[in-house]
Amino acid sequence: MSDDVLADMVPDGDAVAMDFALGALDGPALRAAELRLRRDSDFAIDVARWQADLAPLVNAVAPVAPPLAVWSCIESELFRGPIATPPPSVIARGVDSTVKLWRGLAFGASAVAAVALALLVSRPATPIAAPPPLLAASMASTNAAKAVMITATYDPARGAVILTPAAKDASGGLTPELWVIVGTDKPVSLGVIDLHDPQAHRVPEVLRSRLTNGATLAISLEPDGGSPTGQPTGPVVAAGKLTVI
Amino acid sequence: MSGALNIVSHLAGIAAGDRAALKHLYDATSAKLFGIILRILAERSEAEDVLQEVYITVWRKAAEFDATRASPITWMATIARNRAIDRLRARGSRPTTTLDLAAEVVEPSPAADDLIDSANDARRVTAALDRLDPRHAAIIRSAYYEGMTYQALAEREGMPIGTLKSWVRRGLIRMRGELA
Repeated sequence: MSDDVLADMVPDGDAVAMDFALGALDGPALRAAELRLRRDSDFAIDVARWQADLAPLVNAVAPVAPPLAVWSCIESELFRGPIATPPPSVIARGVDSTVKLWRGLAFGASAVAAVALALLVSRPATPIAAPPPLLAASMASTNAAKAVMITATYDPARGAVILTPAAKDASGGLTPELWVIVGTDKPVSLGVIDLHDPQAHRVPEVLRSRLTNGATLAISLEPDGGSPTGQPTGPVVAAGKLTVI
Repeated sequence: MSGALNIVSHLAGIAAGDRAALKHLYDATSAKLFGIILRILAERSEAEDVLQEVYITVWRKAAEFDATRASPITWMATIARNRAIDRLRARGSRPTTTLDLAAEVVEPSPAADDLIDSANDARRVTAALDRLDPRHAAIIRSAYYEGMTYQALAEREGMPIGTLKSWVRRGLIRMRGELA
């Protein structure tokens, strides 16, 4: 088969998925591909496949020892208490892309947020001695219908989120991944989940402090095994805020 | 215990909040990841920032790593590459400096043997790339390893962007054909 015939066989979507996975796009083409990644699950699958095919190439790169100071920075960032203002040089780009990533989510979650806010305003303060209250989020789908897709209830005593799907599985062969967003922080993964059946999803101990009143839970569709980047890469299909119940 | 399993066990430790496990993982893998990031960013101080970000991500994401689905090194290397490319694109119009990597002082990672497990996959893909037209393979390597865009590659090669894109796409399809 000639190269021309091969090139002609590439459907447009697949070609852009290939370009995106390779990292060769920039400017408007890159932004269009990022947008499509969130909205088009077929495209997201294509990208994930190309990324997986190309991934072994990184193993051929020669190692270079980093300076000792890098480890000290990691240690102080993670283990010396929360840092109110992260170094702008490290985080600026992250915030920017987070804002873009979650802009769609904000619209989808606005109805839920309004309800959550109304509940918060009328709620008396919780007595200090009370057992940790349950927190629940009705996670509305981010499409036009805004139907409740799944109910998530966090039980601090069990350290688990109980997920009760209300609609049928709409993951289309991708892996749903659960995220928590606190304030303006980047989304933090709580792991891949199943949208078929109700389940108790254990939350790693180090992440439990993030599940607080007002934090947002969201579900994105990711490649097999979950997001390869540590941030949502696929379309956000449902989101809602945690509220004390 | 094989190298990859060793790394998987560090990741499991990290998922349970074990700080010492993060240090072990860092000692075993940081030179590899720094090599990948530095190749894309060329600028050391930026590469160091990104390396730091990558291990912070790994600390937070370790619970999600699934050893039955991906090699731990490939998983971490993909995070490193994506972060480095994000940073490169965020530079905007700032010109990319070229760096002769051969001139870098390369110290072998103390746990270089740990990385051998993923070397087979790497060899297969590299071999598939080597069977392409050398000019096509060179362009794909520049895009992948240096994070160069089609635009930058077309300028460097002095060729129309359309031709360059079609070389890369054909090359990748052939490469995938070899892997199948």
